[in-house]
Amino acid sequence: MTNRKVLIVDDERSLLDVLGQYLQDEGFEVVRASDGPMAVELFSTSHPDLVVLDLNLPGLPGTEVLKRIRAERDVPVIMLTARTDEIDRVVGLELGADDYIGKPFSPREVVARVKSVLRRSERAEHEPSATERQIGAITIDNVAHEVRVDGKWVTLTPTQFKILDVLASHVGQTLTRDQLLERVSADGDVFDRTLDRHIANLRARIEPDPTKPRYIVTVFGVGYKMVKPA
Amino acid sequence: MRQVIHEVRNHLAVAIANVEGFRDGIIEPTPARLDAVLHALGEIEVLLARAASAERKEGVPES
Repeated sequence: MTNRKVLIVDDERSLLDVLGQYLQDEGFEVVRASDGPMAVELFSTSHPDLVVLDLNLPGLPGTEVLKRIRAERDVPVIMLTARTDEIDRVVGLELGADDYIGKPFSPREVVARVKSVLRRSERAEHEPSATERQIGAITIDNVAHEVRVDGKWVTLTPTQFKILDVLASHVGQTLTRDQLLERVSADGDVFDRTLDRHIANLRARIEPDPTKPRYIVTVFGVGYKMVKPA
Repeated sequence: MRQVIHEVRNHLAVAIANVEGFRDGIIEPTPARLDAVLHALGEIEVLLARAASAERKEGVPES
């Protein structure tokens, strides 16, 4: 994981300074930008492997920077924000950031997330267009729309399958209720509270003990997360 | 109020990141960095004072 290049963008120079030092200490090469236009330019010229991007930037808002960066090249982006009300929009489908970190944060946390997002994206690159996904004892075939647990077929409703498929494509990442609803319910047939019921039914089919979920865990007050049992 | 919360979080981010950096030995507590921390804390103080006075003007009792 050494010699990866990270572009950090924040209008607070003091934060650029500290975060940059932490990342350099971990062997990353660091490029810093303190406003939106500078971020877009440095992104083109320095070819970073990952971008840590503050949402609130002078010159060009972070959301716009994200769009331009993504238009140019598909690199992982971690958003920094002091505005929790923006998080859904930023990490959701609309803008598609890979992760976010709320301010204030611990710089160690930023380093840990940078590493984990890089690992995730590198793993994804090495496993292109897999039709079968394996999470613990669960196998999901998203072409045949089939699910096996410990090799045994499980019957799921189309909605349960969609929920499982969305969660399984973001292992380790918390999806908010809104994100799940948005991705699962193309035709608006899944509503907020029924989501919980779908999750409960899904757990009953795939969890060894649905009362103590090991695969689909609840992140209280936020949403759900799929994890790979240890 | 939302804007105040947002600004306080930004200043806290500066203070916390720097102090953690000092503790972890990642950055030196130079006078410039100590000033950055003090400045951030000072801004929080100002924001809180303003919020408190706005609250008093609205007649909301302070708890």
